[in-house]
Amino acid sequence: MNETRIGIEQAMAVEGGTQEVGAQEAQVVTAIAPAQPSKLKMTLAEVRAKLDGKSGKRYWKSLDELADTPAFQELMQEEFPRQASAGEWVDSVSRRGFLKVMGASFALAGLAGCTKQPEEPIFPYVKQPEDLVLGKPMYFATAHPFPTGAIPVLVKSDAFRPIKLEGNPEHPIAKGKSDAFTQASLLDLYDPDRSQFPRFRGEQADFSRFQQEFAKAVAASKTGDGVVFLSETITSPTLAAQWKQVQAKYPQAKLVQYEPVNNDAGRAASKAAFGDYYDTQYKLEDADVILALDADFLGGIGFPGFLPMSAAWAERHRFDKDKPMNRLYAVETMPTVTGFKAEHRLALKPSEIDQFANALAGGNSTLSNPEAQKFLSVVMEDIKKSGGRFAIVVGPSSSQAAHFAALTVNAGLGAVGKTVFYTETVASIPSEHVSDLKALVADMNAGKVEWLVMLGVNPLYNAPVDLNFEDAFNKVPHRVHLGSHVDETGFYSTWHINKSHYLESWTDARAYDGTISIVQPMIEPLYGGKSAHDVLQTLIDPQVSAYQLVLANAKTYIKAPGGDTAKTVAANVPAPAATGAGNSAAADAAARAALGVARATTPFEMAWRKALHDGWVADTAFVPKTLGAPKGGVTTPASAGSGIEISFRPDPSLYDGRYGNNGWLQELPKQVTNMSWDNAALMNMDLMGKLGIEENEAIELTLNGRKIITPVLMAPGHPNDAVTVHLGLGRRAECGRVGAGVGFNAYALRTSGQPLSAGGLMIARGKGSYDLCVTKVHNIEHRGAFAQRDLEHPEFDTQGTYSLAGHEAMERSIIRYATYEEAMKNPDFAHLGTKDSNDTLVNKVGYNPQGEAVPHDDSFYPDNWRYDHVMEVAAGKVLQNKWGMSIDLNSCVGCNACIVSCYAENNIAVVGREQVKIGRIMQWMRIDTYFEGDLHAPIAHFQPMLCQHCESAGCEQVCPVGATVHTPEGINTMVYNRCVGTRYCSNNCPYKVRRFNFLLYSDYDTESLKLMRNPDVTVRSRGVMEKCSYCIQRIEAVKIEADKNNRAIADGEILTACQQACPTDAIVFGNLNDPKSRVVKRKAEERDYQVLADLNYRPRTTYTAGVINPNAELA
Amino acid sequence: MAQVFDRSSNALARASLVLSGLIVIALGVALNSLQRSPWVTRQGQRPDQPVPFSHKHHVEGLGLQCQYCHTSVEKSSYAGIPPTKTCMNCHSQIWTNANLLEPVRQSWATGASLQWIKVHDLPDFVYFNHEIHVNKGIGCASCHGRVDEMPLMYMQNSLQMEWCLNCHRNPAVNLRPTAEIYNMAWTGPSSDKPVWCSATGAVGPTAQQVACVETDPAASNPEMAQMSQPAELSKSAALDKAQTVADVSPAVVMPANYVKFTSQDELGHYLMKQYHIRTANELSSCEVCHR
Repeated sequence: MNETRIGIEQAMAVEGGTQEVGAQEAQVVTAIAPAQPSKLKMTLAEVRAKLDGKSGKRYWKSLDELADTPAFQELMQEEFPRQASAGEWVDSVSRRGFLKVMGASFALAGLAGCTKQPEEPIFPYVKQPEDLVLGKPMYFATAHPFPTGAIPVLVKSDAFRPIKLEGNPEHPIAKGKSDAFTQASLLDLYDPDRSQFPRFRGEQADFSRFQQEFAKAVAASKTGDGVVFLSETITSPTLAAQWKQVQAKYPQAKLVQYEPVNNDAGRAASKAAFGDYYDTQYKLEDADVILALDADFLGGIGFPGFLPMSAAWAERHRFDKDKPMNRLYAVETMPTVTGFKAEHRLALKPSEIDQFANALAGGNSTLSNPEAQKFLSVVMEDIKKSGGRFAIVVGPSSSQAAHFAALTVNAGLGAVGKTVFYTETVASIPSEHVSDLKALVADMNAGKVEWLVMLGVNPLYNAPVDLNFEDAFNKVPHRVHLGSHVDETGFYSTWHINKSHYLESWTDARAYDGTISIVQPMIEPLYGGKSAHDVLQTLIDPQVSAYQLVLANAKTYIKAPGGDTAKTVAANVPAPAATGAGNSAAADAAARAALGVARATTPFEMAWRKALHDGWVADTAFVPKTLGAPKGGVTTPASAGSGIEISFRPDPSLYDGRYGNNGWLQELPKQVTNMSWDNAALMNMDLMGKLGIEENEAIELTLNGRKIITPVLMAPGHPNDAVTVHLGLGRRAECGRVGAGVGFNAYALRTSGQPLSAGGLMIARGKGSYDLCVTKVHNIEHRGAFAQRDLEHPEFDTQGTYSLAGHEAMERSIIRYATYEEAMKNPDFAHLGTKDSNDTLVNKVGYNPQGEAVPHDDSFYPDNWRYDHVMEVAAGKVLQNKWGMSIDLNSCVGCNACIVSCYAENNIAVVGREQVKIGRIMQWMRIDTYFEGDLHAPIAHFQPMLCQHCESAGCEQVCPVGATVHTPEGINTMVYNRCVGTRYCSNNCPYKVRRFNFLLYSDYDTESLKLMRNPDVTVRSRGVMEKCSYCIQRIEAVKIEADKNNRAIADGEILTACQQACPTDAIVFGNLNDPKSRVVKRKAEERDYQVLADLNYRPRTTYTAGVINPNAELA
Repeated sequence: MAQVFDRSSNALARASLVLSGLIVIALGVALNSLQRSPWVTRQGQRPDQPVPFSHKHHVEGLGLQCQYCHTSVEKSSYAGIPPTKTCMNCHSQIWTNANLLEPVRQSWATGASLQWIKVHDLPDFVYFNHEIHVNKGIGCASCHGRVDEMPLMYMQNSLQMEWCLNCHRNPAVNLRPTAEIYNMAWTGPSSDKPVWCSATGAVGPTAQQVACVETDPAASNPEMAQMSQPAELSKSAALDKAQTVADVSPAVVMPANYVKFTSQDELGHYLMKQYHIRTANELSSCEVCHR
């Protein structure tokens, strides 16, 4: 809105508001590292020197670690960087008061067990729904609508409250997998800051009043002149059909779709090449060579087709001696997970990517950058060798030049029809968003717009800044906003209508492959919200409900078996049942009665029920179109890149800002950078050195005279002279209690002409400093390096008391990988260690090569349990269950879906920015990013880290109260009630996977959040340690079911939440005593290894060493 | 100056030392018994309910089967409290004007729930599951007592953890044939009243594993002597494929080799084997009840 409110001052000012729990008075703003930023003086040369000095593979996680400053050393010595101090307790008391209270508490300690439970009421149903078995969840299919295509989901519903979302296992594209946004959309439903009633000029008003006023005004205009709907991308066929009806009735009414993150470049390229808009679908299972041109297709559903593409990529990237591996090349600016999973990554600034793309399309032009030229020729050679089994992947972040290059080369070298297909667009009404919005703003400025009806959009926050949307907005007399929150736009609109969540409403939506899913409500709208259907229907027939609309429109695409009666009703939207009905609710009930309660009779009714049950409509996927060669002369001039370039990207966790008030996603450490609750100007060391700036310094970015202030973070592998900023943060107070004021608003620099990247960025220093919230430093496995260093230069350990001897710990082989050739030559590479030229082992760890597992009998400790107890089940004798997990590092793409899934399943609390900064994030699992090699072109390895469920667990041995114990099935379990909070266990955990409730992080008060919690998992209170439980509640539920029927648990019957969400099938869980289980097969592979195996903790979770398939010519 | 304390004070001092020791011990004992007392556990207490519902009248008097109201006891962790509709099934016909039933009619008319007070109220961190207990041969009365003799509902047992563990460490003391789950009067075998059981060899749900009779199968016709079957009440609700006690007739196969039992302990150990009850180790592991 106004630029002065953007940036550091604002972010600092409202930091207190970012916490979800009531620790607002907390005044312990302490940095983790560096304690004093000025101490971190590390030049690029020094970093390089450090890296060069190491032999063998050397991994690092952050600059701090490389720099090895005293502050960092200090951090390493502490288990949790800061203790909770009395000042930050929720009920902070004085020292005197504390002693008084504690004195009394000690005296009454024996009475603590005598707490009398309050009497609890039971509220039974008056009439219980027939199918409901209280205590057993039910599952319903629906879909999560998203601009790039809906994600089909299966909703776990406990007494009709949605409590968990999973991918729909029967859907052709989801196959049971999901992603971080979909998982987190559950929290959006229960967001206490949701708008709860319609407002007229800020006062509570009735929706019916809006309907009357709107309908009257539009009817008075006769043609609909001056009525504009500004909508998000429409992927709902029913909404599109509805719009056609509105258009037929009011031909002058207009529809503009605007998403700040859109595929305009792709649309324009498609229009120029084929004369119409088409979407591209990739079948990566058939691609041997993949080139991603600024396309982060492994990052999340912001990329269309993320689920099938990442699954297909991972399937072809598994190492199998009989199967060739695929090879991924990536050319990109911002280092993404796709870039880091690629065998070869070329970091180019945006203008250079355009040149690269033009050269790629042109065939033989040369590039000034020799590195890029070599990359290009090698890639082209590889592509040509593949004989059409390749794909050049482009996406919403790719420039027009990249899209042209992809169209040309994919067609020219024969990928089209093999791996690349063109189809109709997922968007029902494809359009170019920015140019349409520009035209709309011109109309608004000219006073041609009377009614601006905004459906789920927030243009006051995210419209291109050069359009001055706010000025135009103020010239519109009637501004209607349909939104889930009274957001930046809703606050200034004349009418605000509270939007229903997709889990509360009827609609339909197309997935990436075109398959239509019916979106059905899971719960009565919590606040009586309305959907876009209701708003559009105001102009047609307000009596018809969204349900009737979807039902009627479904007749156009649901093919009933045994007759094509369906097609005949096309576009005749209002259901016949509704015409004479008194009100929509009654008609709704009547229609439901016709279909829901009564037995389905007609073929359509049966097909409709099947569609609702399955979650998708069969035979609605797009059929690939044959389009012929794209029109010639498609190279575009490279965007003029001058000086430092800035690149705008949707935030990996918050997308375009729509998830701003979602605590799970705000707290989620962002891919690659591991930033939480923040965004930053991301750049490389060279640029930082050139400008003389350091991490955490605040700088001023100036682009075309517009300024924002941002902190700086080094992004390893970022190209030189370029800065990446993430959109979606810097939301204003209207965003809600979570998102208000977090980060800076990068939209303030983004113009309509250059939405992806722009040149001519000016950077000014001296704006103070801002301590970014980066979780990387919280869990440092390289304590060994510290011990080593101290051995050589005794500084802290002058007494020689540290138990960790340096020679044991220098290199612990936490990450192991090999190239395809190496792996073929020596399949046991993960256990051989690194040999030098004399064939002697270097980096020998502990007493075994490369930190190998100690023979079982070498332990002082007797086994806790035996795991070979024979159980008799009716089908015969089986060994007892012995749970274990295997994680394939080859497949893990670091997309974070598992972490958010774990949040929802296990009632994990959100702690807020200040608490995350001091290392108290509560996520049970994290994805560690290890970088290797040069800062410019590092290789990165992602490693999900969660409780390893050690058979001989260190945590159990030190717990004074037996709060963490081993179960007979080998799970390291937490008994929350026993925990007294000594934190010894966490201190003794080498994997650093335990999380402690320093404060009361769980929200016990907010009513709406109570509905969301998993009833099978305790909500933890203050002073309790917690950690990954292998989803013990899921194990127990399946065990009970199996025991009832006297059978063994089938493999795959228990899925942990992380495993279920994982789009690439990297995580496998199962019974280690079942020789046929997938997890046993994975663990039997030679590449299987334990992290920190030489400690002899015998972790049940093991990792499969990665294999990459680099091209020798680029090595 | 004369001494302040007389010689006899020494004895007093010694006595007071002993006394204070005794007081500490007494306090400990008192707290211990307080912790286990009905004041804390509410054992045996009858809270004020909106309707003085009598299990004695409905179960013993009228012969209603447990599952008529507690429908999900075999299928879910939660046994289920009947909806008002269940009451009205009968009470729209009989006792339609009874004052005592006014809250029920009120609930039916207004759609507001009857608000009962929970009698068996476990702490929220205990994840008790009815279905596995009922399906593995723990009868209702083992935990809830003789509900059929309770005019007003109360808690027979303390439901404290030690009480749970007593059985989880040695389930044999309470196991009974699955056909007897809802039999409130089941006392277990004794030398006066032996029970003959035999494994059926059937594959599948626990309820099919064993057939038991109370008269000597060698002496009389075993098929006649079979125990009364529980009515198959909840079949319609069984949407899932899992079969439970009531879904299965225990006498699918008529076995030949009967074993005679004259004590609960013998029968319990036999059933533990036949029903594949997990070991005490597994049953008393923390995660079984706490998650």
